[in-house]
Amino acid sequence: MKNPYEILGVAPTASADDIQKAYRKLAKKLHPDLNPGNAEAEEKFKEIAGAYGLVGDAEKRKRFDNGEIDAAGAERPRQNYYRDYASSEQDYPYTNNSGFADFMDSEDAFAELLRRSAQAQANRSGHDLAYRLPIEFIESIAGANKRLTLPEGGTLDVAVPAGITEGQVLRLRGKGAPGSGKGGFGDALIEVEIKPDRSFTRQGDDIYLELPITLTEAVLGARIKVPTPTGAVTMAVPKGSNTGTTLRLRGKGAPKHAGGYGDQLVKLKVVLPKEPDPDLEAFVSNWQGGKTHNPREEVTP
Amino acid sequence: MKINKEEFLSLSGIGHKMLDAWMEEEWLIPSGSSPELSFSEIDIARARLIRDLQVDFGVNDEGVGVILNLVDQLYGMRRTLMELRHAVRTNPSE
Repeated sequence: MKNPYEILGVAPTASADDIQKAYRKLAKKLHPDLNPGNAEAEEKFKEIAGAYGLVGDAEKRKRFDNGEIDAAGAERPRQNYYRDYASSEQDYPYTNNSGFADFMDSEDAFAELLRRSAQAQANRSGHDLAYRLPIEFIESIAGANKRLTLPEGGTLDVAVPAGITEGQVLRLRGKGAPGSGKGGFGDALIEVEIKPDRSFTRQGDDIYLELPITLTEAVLGARIKVPTPTGAVTMAVPKGSNTGTTLRLRGKGAPKHAGGYGDQLVKLKVVLPKEPDPDLEAFVSNWQGGKTHNPREEVTP
Repeated sequence: MKINKEEFLSLSGIGHKMLDAWMEEEWLIPSGSSPELSFSEIDIARARLIRDLQVDFGVNDEGVGVILNLVDQLYGMRRTLMELRHAVRTNPSE
């Protein structure tokens, strides 16, 4: 970095008054907000602001003159300038088009273009606002009416359609930020986040569930109650079912885009009683089939 | 980002009285109505510009009003110019 006195164009012996005058003279010409289209002005402004930050302050100037601090790092970091916002697409209440109102009065094509763009500005619709909505797995399948509390206050009622998937975005028309003039409101964009479920998982339109059954139900078969996201149904477990046997409940899955429903696939898991059972032990020790049957035949050692 | 009056005062570094005076002059136009005023980033940036004008440049109150009026016209024209550019680019035949 150059010597701050050189940047400001003053002698190192200049009085504080002269330094301020020199700074003001340059800053008035170079302030980025007053030179919105001029990148060079911004660079120079940063330089002079940094220089002034150093030698415009009596204490810092003394330390700089004594060689205790150098010019590096003197640039004051600054948050965004006004022009960064005033030049953006966003709406703000300070725009003023009176500077070229006379241009709009004529009848040529240029005036027409100006009129149209001024009208577009006056009637710009509001921004879309984005939110996240966490829902339960069951709600994602069956659908739900949710009330979203907004960070900026207020609430939003959201009808979550049945069968929605993770990351899907719901658009609520007119529930976004207000626009200007006749522009109307923007939309609320709600990204759905599905909380994982302890029992159910989903693949495509099908729902998977692992369901524990007793040894008796597995061996003899049974009619048992199975939970689905839309309520319990009765299912027949065939005689001789095993752990890993998968049964299909047609039409009990997620709603499909094209209409109809996927299936629920129920994977059975045979579970022995938690406590050792003397009767069961006595039966199994006398059960000849249990001794000849080798379930590990196909498992290579 | 929307912030309330207290947050605005601490972020922009101006005082209560000064803010009231600036709003009276319509140098700052927050949304909402008193006491539930709502400020955004552009209001903070504009407050800093006003402070630069007053403190660093030594512009008096009348001068600030004149400058802001011209600045608003300048940005209004820049915005219209941007929209014209956009219109010309998207409709080259018109």
